[in-house]
Amino acid sequence: MVIRKYLTAVLTGFMAVSLVLAGCSSQSGSSEESQKPKTVTKQKEQSLAKKDGNSLTIAIKDNLISMDPQDTNDTLSGSVQATMYEGLVGFDKDMKMVPVLAESYEASDDAKVFTFKLKQGIKFHDGTPFNAEAVKVNIDRVANPDNKLKRYSMFALVDKTEAVDEYTFRVTLKEPFGAMLNNFAHPAARIISPEALKKYGKEVSKQPVGTGPFKFVEWDPSDHLTVEENPDYWEKDLPKVDSIKFKPVPENGARVAMLQTGEADFIYPVPTEQVEAINGKDGIVVENRPSIVARYMTMNTTKKPFNDVKVRQAINYAINKEAFLKVVYRGFGSEMDSIIPAGLQFYSKQKTYQYDLEKAKKLLKEAGYEKGFTTTIWGANNSDAMKAMEFLQQQLGQVGIKVEVVPMEAGTLSDKIWSVQDAKDAGVELYYGGWSSSTGDADWGIRPLLAGNSIPPKSYNVGYYQNEKADQLINAALQTADPAKRQAAYADVQKIIWDDAPWAPLIVEDTIAGKKNYLEGVYLLPDGSLSAKEAEIKR
Amino acid sequence: MFRYILKRLLGIIPILLIVSIFIFMFVHMIPGDPARLVAGPDAGQKDVELVRQQLGLDKPITTQYFTYIGNLFQGDLGVSMKTKRPVYDEIAQRFMPTFWLTVWSMVWAIVFGLLIGVISATKRNKWQDYAGMFSAVSGISLPSFWLGLMLIQLFSVKLGWFPTGGSDSWKAYVLPSVTLGAGVAAVIARFARSSLMEILKEDYIRTGRAKGLKENAVVWRHALKNALIPVITMTGLQFGFLLGGSIVVETVFSWPGLGRLLIDSVSFRDYPLIQAEMLLFALEFILINLLVDILYGVMNPQIRYK
Repeated sequence: MVIRKYLTAVLTGFMAVSLVLAGCSSQSGSSEESQKPKTVTKQKEQSLAKKDGNSLTIAIKDNLISMDPQDTNDTLSGSVQATMYEGLVGFDKDMKMVPVLAESYEASDDAKVFTFKLKQGIKFHDGTPFNAEAVKVNIDRVANPDNKLKRYSMFALVDKTEAVDEYTFRVTLKEPFGAMLNNFAHPAARIISPEALKKYGKEVSKQPVGTGPFKFVEWDPSDHLTVEENPDYWEKDLPKVDSIKFKPVPENGARVAMLQTGEADFIYPVPTEQVEAINGKDGIVVENRPSIVARYMTMNTTKKPFNDVKVRQAINYAINKEAFLKVVYRGFGSEMDSIIPAGLQFYSKQKTYQYDLEKAKKLLKEAGYEKGFTTTIWGANNSDAMKAMEFLQQQLGQVGIKVEVVPMEAGTLSDKIWSVQDAKDAGVELYYGGWSSSTGDADWGIRPLLAGNSIPPKSYNVGYYQNEKADQLINAALQTADPAKRQAAYADVQKIIWDDAPWAPLIVEDTIAGKKNYLEGVYLLPDGSLSAKEAEIKR
Repeated sequence: MFRYILKRLLGIIPILLIVSIFIFMFVHMIPGDPARLVAGPDAGQKDVELVRQQLGLDKPITTQYFTYIGNLFQGDLGVSMKTKRPVYDEIAQRFMPTFWLTVWSMVWAIVFGLLIGVISATKRNKWQDYAGMFSAVSGISLPSFWLGLMLIQLFSVKLGWFPTGGSDSWKAYVLPSVTLGAGVAAVIARFARSSLMEILKEDYIRTGRAKGLKENAVVWRHALKNALIPVITMTGLQFGFLLGGSIVVETVFSWPGLGRLLIDSVSFRDYPLIQAEMLLFALEFILINLLVDILYGVMNPQIRYK
């Protein structure tokens, strides 16, 4: 009798809970089998959602760290800075360099002297004029190692800066560096008001003053950062919204819910598994575009068996990159067909390693590993990285390679890789990583990852890859600013390294953002940063 | 009693000093290099070394410790490695939201927990008892992460009654405190039930009933006071844990509190911030324990301290 009563209560409870669950759930239960096209399917026209007022709320993933462009190394802070600061040059939607505060620019043939002609009549938010002297103050600041700014190394080569006249700025480098223009397009090179620098010093990270379409209002680091329109902005008719509020919302589910309720007008990132569920409902539109974030697996080329190119190529043939894209990223991305993403300057397409298990097994046999071998793969411990590593484990298992997946927390992982002073002591074998070449230039996508002296602890060459010919070409490509010469050099580098296969390049991620259908002009650039300059609310 | 409280309060300082040594040691023993984490993934070794110097991490560890203790005695908690803001500001700004969230969660957890616990104890083995204990088990077992997201989907997205997150209005307090309070209410319910059940078997309760007291008076006026002793201990502990900031609930509801600060600071190995937060938790627990001991004395004169 007693047991029956208890059972009844339990069962009733379960039924109640499951009913609530079923009613609440708005997931459309997308399955792994359904083919996902690369672009989000076009939804039938929704009516414009209602929007009160002319201010935006943008929900982002993490907290903001600093509003000093020269002391920032996270894309998120850089995106918010982009509303208030501008650089001499910048990137457009497709990561092509475009003039912003500069009218024109030129590089000397030896890639040592760069001259910018500046636009006239532009003022900072505090009313002081933008001119060559202002640019000089900024570049001197970041290039001075005593200031210990995080972005010092981007300008470490600067030898001399001059304000040639009021609107002409010239910088001379200590040695040639063909990619220097791209460094000026990087978020770190945005121009701060010298008056603000004098007034606030390092505190300018909390009191940003730039030339951008929006002015700083307030920043509560635990909650939000607000900017308002700059009525004296130099581009006519911009901006078109009154203010923008950036809110960090780390939990994916909560961020998506904000878009559904209208508490946010734009959110990113949208997790791949929620895209189909929210696109086309509640006035939501999800947009995905190719980024320049590459995902790849490195192999420690100094350790057996990865020191044999046949083994490395076999691994490349054994991984089905199309399936990787579908399983780990739900199709939101594209396969890599070079060592750098297609969006980078001087990318050149290579012959892909088609998924071919027979070829992989044959190569392994030739190398003497017919029975396969055991190894470990290191990577981050977030769910995407773990899914990816488990997928790779499964793929390599098909050719007899037994992979142990070792996910690690960020600090521990970075310690295990960078505390190694001597290559001989490196414990890393396979490593699953990602890289965003934020300058948009092939140099930044290749040199820190594959140049001979970029091995840890110096930089990110976790595969300990050494190739003299490639190194020569990488350096040669920096000795000139002539795009044709650099293109040729990088084409060679890519072919050499691709054939040598120190990595298994996998995919380039898509950026995925969600917005309400009344919002235009806000979008993600391929480097993952946000552009909100042309924000407009359609009525 | 007063002298007792004063003695306890003065004892806090040596305790905190010893705790600070342990905290410093353990935090520095965690693998992970803050300089590299602060410098970011793009940084080359030169950048990392510059950051290391800037953070004072290139000095020997004993120097670092004495600098830390010296500053502590002057009331200087240091500067966050990640944001360069004073640690005191970072914590102070987030303390009040966490405090209020904790208070509201505890309020409704105590109310519901006690209610369910008392009803279950008095209606033992009847359907009210089973229903009560079932809700208690659910409250403990349902992951707060899931509960929070479900509440958001139902009450924010579908019904639009409450905001999805933040702490802007009184409405924003409802869902997070329900989510956070659920687990605590469940624990309180079970403790209250078992404690009350024990008390109700006591002889003096039988005496009360024999004297003709109404059952309600017996339970609410006489039995409950004594049953509450273990409940108070448990509640105090729960309050202490919640004051540390519930990482999960604060993340789900974008609550600007200490929980998120803690997880961020640990991920970044932000030593000054972690150390200050640990000291704060230690202080909170010490104070709560003191409060609990005083409450014992109030509830049961036999336990008063000299």
